[in-house]
Amino acid sequence: MSFLIEIIPRLLQGMYITLQLIVFSMPIGLVIGVAVALGRVYGGVVLSPLAWGYQLLFRGTPLLLQLFVIYYGLPHCGLILSPFASAITAFSLCSGAYHSEYLRGAILSIQGGQMEAARALGMGKIQAIRSIILPQMLRRALPGCSNEIVYLIKYSSLAYIVTLVDLTGQGRLIAYETFRFFEVFLIVGLIYLGMVTIADRFLHAVEKKVHIPGI
Amino acid sequence: MTLISACLGLGILGGIPLAFVHVYGARWGKLVAGIYDRVFRGFPALVLLFLFYFGLGSIKGFSISPFIAVVLALGLRSVAYQAQIYRGGLLAVGEDQMDAARSLGMTKLQAIWFVILPQALYFSLPGIANEYSIVLKDTALAFAVGVVELFTRGKFIAVHTRATLSIYLTVAAIYLFLTYIGIFGFWVVERLAYIPGLGGRAKEGER
Repeated sequence: MSFLIEIIPRLLQGMYITLQLIVFSMPIGLVIGVAVALGRVYGGVVLSPLAWGYQLLFRGTPLLLQLFVIYYGLPHCGLILSPFASAITAFSLCSGAYHSEYLRGAILSIQGGQMEAARALGMGKIQAIRSIILPQMLRRALPGCSNEIVYLIKYSSLAYIVTLVDLTGQGRLIAYETFRFFEVFLIVGLIYLGMVTIADRFLHAVEKKVHIPGI
Repeated sequence: MTLISACLGLGILGGIPLAFVHVYGARWGKLVAGIYDRVFRGFPALVLLFLFYFGLGSIKGFSISPFIAVVLALGLRSVAYQAQIYRGGLLAVGEDQMDAARSLGMTKLQAIWFVILPQALYFSLPGIANEYSIVLKDTALAFAVGVVELFTRGKFIAVHTRATLSIYLTVAAIYLFLTYIGIFGFWVVERLAYIPGLGGRAKEGER
């Protein structure tokens, strides 16, 4: 028990980094996701294949690999990012690709007639997307996107690979110092479980809150 | 590749029974399954991996090879995820089919084996294809405990030749290929296993 009290402050330090990572990459990922999904559906012959290629690339390769390319590979092209920046870039790009797929499904589930009706009422295409399609698609994609956010929380543990001392990294350091691997990683795991559970509850609440009957 | 098949295999072997416990189990069974589910779906894969490799390895008189640790961690994790997929499949088979089978004189086990399971597995196929692509990408984590798989091999070469970016891009291309060839494979299986007229609740109205 005293061991627990001893390591908790250090784990909280790591958790702070983890939370920062999540807080930054989650919204960026969502924005990328919306942009890519819209690009894929309404992008025409230029943007649509681009969005498709982006999805293919980032959903088809391991996040670990993306992280490596961004942190260790890009400096060879003259682009040097700090560990924190590369982690956020990788997480946002990857979760953006997954978000976009949920969002695309949501767009496709909205009947095509709605777009036509909006256009017939004299709305521009962008106007129609913003005021008709977007509000509906965000609501419909929310369950899938919540799932992706939960994944993001868990995959943020990869940040230790680019030398960031996040929750997992801190746990690893403590474990190596004390040789009590099992206890330390069990506690780290439970903290993640707690974060995931809270996020899950919160997102469910959001889902209920923004629910509009009949949509 | 061995890693993926071992993890997925373990996932299928464990996932189906666990799904049955989720759906048909007694209350205590459901409770245990629920805790298992929470732990393995709530912990990050990396933490599970460390827990199995360093954690079990640090218990006295118990040594574990990196390969086994990866298979256990990712496999048991896949069990939890696949159980959810099969649970969805089981629930998609209408409850009245069970009643019908029982009324024809089948026992509960017989009904599950002949009536529910084949349909549930078919409904689960798209989910399993998804799980395959997730497990495939998670095997890259094996490098963290020192198993030499595709990613680690790429890293060795990259460090050796200093052509970091091109090596990683090649590795990425291989992963891409494996992912989509696998998904295509599952798609073919789905087509082959297709039985016209098979449907779950959607078809209930036709009786």
